[in-house]
Amino acid sequence: MSTNQAPLFSATAIAKNFGGVQALRGVDFDVVSGEIHALLGQNGAGKSTLVKILNGVHPAGSYTGTIQLDGQPVSFASPADARSNGVGYVPQEIEVLEQLSVAENVFAGRTGLGDGVLVHQRKLEQRAAEIFADLGIDIDPRAYVASLPSAQRHLVMIARAIVMKPRVLMLDEPTASLSGTEVDALFAVLRRLKAQGVAMIYITHRLPEVLAICDRATVLRDGQVAVRIAREDFDAETFIFSMSGQRLQRLFPEHAAPVGTPTALEVRRLSVDGHGGAVHGARDINLSVAAGEIVGLAGLLGSGRSEILHGIYGRVLSEGEIHVGGKEVSIKSPADARAAGIALLTEDRKRDGLLFNLPVGANITIGNLAPLSRRGVVRGGLERNAIVAAMRALNVKASSPRASVTHLSGGNQQKLLFARVLMRAPKVLLLDEPTKGVDAATRHEIYRLVVELADKGVSLLIVASELEELIGLCDRCLVVADGRIVDEFGRGEGGEDRVLRSVTAAQAERQAQVSA
Amino acid sequence: MNSAAEVSSPRRGTQSFRRRLIGLIAVGEVGVLAAMALLIAFFWLLEPAFLSERNIRAILNVVSFVGIIAIGQTILLVAGEFDLSVGSVAGLSAVVAAKLMTAAALPVTVGILGGIGVGALIGLLNGLIVVRLGIPAFIQTLGMLFIGQGLIQSVTGGYPVYPLPEAINTIGGTDLAFGLGWSFAFFIIAAVAADFVLRRTVLGRNIYATGGNKEVAHLVGINTNACKIGAFITVGALSAIAGMFVMADLGSGGTSIGSGWELTVIAGVVVGGVSLFGGAGTVAGGVVGILMLKVVQSGLVVIGVNSNWQQIAVGVIMVMAVGLDIVRRRYFIAGA
Repeated sequence: MSTNQAPLFSATAIAKNFGGVQALRGVDFDVVSGEIHALLGQNGAGKSTLVKILNGVHPAGSYTGTIQLDGQPVSFASPADARSNGVGYVPQEIEVLEQLSVAENVFAGRTGLGDGVLVHQRKLEQRAAEIFADLGIDIDPRAYVASLPSAQRHLVMIARAIVMKPRVLMLDEPTASLSGTEVDALFAVLRRLKAQGVAMIYITHRLPEVLAICDRATVLRDGQVAVRIAREDFDAETFIFSMSGQRLQRLFPEHAAPVGTPTALEVRRLSVDGHGGAVHGARDINLSVAAGEIVGLAGLLGSGRSEILHGIYGRVLSEGEIHVGGKEVSIKSPADARAAGIALLTEDRKRDGLLFNLPVGANITIGNLAPLSRRGVVRGGLERNAIVAAMRALNVKASSPRASVTHLSGGNQQKLLFARVLMRAPKVLLLDEPTKGVDAATRHEIYRLVVELADKGVSLLIVASELEELIGLCDRCLVVADGRIVDEFGRGEGGEDRVLRSVTAAQAERQAQVSA
Repeated sequence: MNSAAEVSSPRRGTQSFRRRLIGLIAVGEVGVLAAMALLIAFFWLLEPAFLSERNIRAILNVVSFVGIIAIGQTILLVAGEFDLSVGSVAGLSAVVAAKLMTAAALPVTVGILGGIGVGALIGLLNGLIVVRLGIPAFIQTLGMLFIGQGLIQSVTGGYPVYPLPEAINTIGGTDLAFGLGWSFAFFIIAAVAADFVLRRTVLGRNIYATGGNKEVAHLVGINTNACKIGAFITVGALSAIAGMFVMADLGSGGTSIGSGWELTVIAGVVVGGVSLFGGAGTVAGGVVGILMLKVVQSGLVVIGVNSNWQQIAVGVIMVMAVGLDIVRRRYFIAGA
């Protein structure tokens, strides 16, 4: 692509921190007219922060650095402000108004569409039809959005952004909820926009798509530009190398994979439905975890790794067989899983972990009260002792068992939830992002705890977005892509690059299958 | 790790006092009790007759009827739902029981059991529809309020059921102590039992968890649907019992029994610190709340305030109480 052309939209020395955490450290980025510029990087590399700055979600003043449009400095106070300056954005999550028609969705938020305050319905539909024809999209403007599949909803959102005639268009993982043929349709739309001179920023995790459609790529790592690559030099290996990089080695407690221990958890042909949007299910999963073994599920966000845990725990309905300790168990609800000796630590503490209406102590014992009660009546003394013992064992720092959980730090909240799931001494422990949002010290406590539990014979199945952490901690890693296990390697047999390579290969294979 | 359960700072004494004070306010019952004490003093200063034996008896008598329902409503609110049909259920159960005893000439016990059965059945229906079909409790129980009203009219043809068997009049007329009868005794026993269940049992803890965050409760193995449906059934049965006590008190199955109670009950328990958002509040608080509401209503009558202003006072108190609830959640429970 003509990189000698003057950039249409550029950002210079963008830096931003969130309460002491430096998310971006001086990023330069630009895009020229008629170019599709890929923005790549692992989770947490700073992609979304940069995009939010470029489209005004983080308003001018909350970051340092300058943004220029057409050589003129601009500062956006809000996404609406960015839009009216010709900078459009298509978010990853589908944000449509389900009860309205397609045409109404395309023009949502626009005014002056009819006579005075009234909306001229037919004119709206005509104009939407024109836009769809222009983009080669085949959707009836009068259809209700509620009746559309998620791929078409995504196209409606793209049409909504295009209606504003943006000169710059940002697309955040636009293919996350699309199937192969739908991806082809989307690419056709993007090629038309490109021919019309629109500058596009394309955020994705999928390297085959970058190779297929992008003109230039910028890779972010740890809040900085790791490398900028022109189309001539595109190569999957280069991308993988620059995305994984070599970061500071963290110290992981030593753990040797157990030898000859019996299989504690075995999953055969497990399938879990996805629940719409960007979230995929998982299909035909076969895996086993030996007693005392730490197994990691590596994969990108939305690859289906959490769904595998949820399926095993009975949080979502699943098909297939689950064997615990050699016996097949039927798991239809979390209660069944708990009875079988399985425990789950969920990813989102605030949404599905803590009970904010109960104090620290009751948060630990909830669901574990049976041995602490007689004929259904909780025995206060027994409960109190159990709470104090659990808080001590896991180093939960709270002023008292009656304190509110609201004021605990993220690390203490996480340890509290560990105390809850460990109280019943599970044989199989499923951990979903166990170190998300906790401080460095707690992180190490959690690593030590995981290894300690494994040494005691507990089987652990862990999901974590930080590949380095997962690889450092686990005896064995299973790589998940698009709801399937695509690779498996033991400790020392591979690193972050191997995970990224397997994921990329799986995605390329899928794309080839669909096109064939 | 010795600091787990204790704070080892030199200012520990004052800190723990402050924490305890905050804890008390956070509980909510203490605040209502203090407010009620102030109000009683206020009315008594203006009109000493407010604390006359007759007036106290009158207040407690009314509280015993709506209080029985408030117990169930509190449990249901803690479980994260609420029921607007309690008044209709009370009235319908009363007239059904009365019809069974008179028109169907069945024994009194069968009539009473039939009344309770009607209440429990409606509770079950409300619970199943809210939990299984996902229809909001507001809509389902509002619908049931109208259905109940209609059924009362069609069961009775619009006329009170009269006369009732002598046994019923005896139940209504018994003076156990201080001019208070069986309804008050039942109210006290039920309140103590329900408070114990919520406060001290595994079931109670599970109900708090269900109302606090249904998903979390489900994940720790609690059958949240059973908790909610059970709470609906409890409210229904208690409403039926309250309705039949009023019937016994009046000596007839009147068609207006229970009308308008639904809002009084919800206002009362909310004043007592039971959260409309689920997961917080106690039976003691709910009962004290409804008592306070009745104290205000009665006090305004005694000091000679126009009856229109009594309604206004109830409205203002309820909004203030919910405002307090929101502030309390923001500071003590929070989330997000």
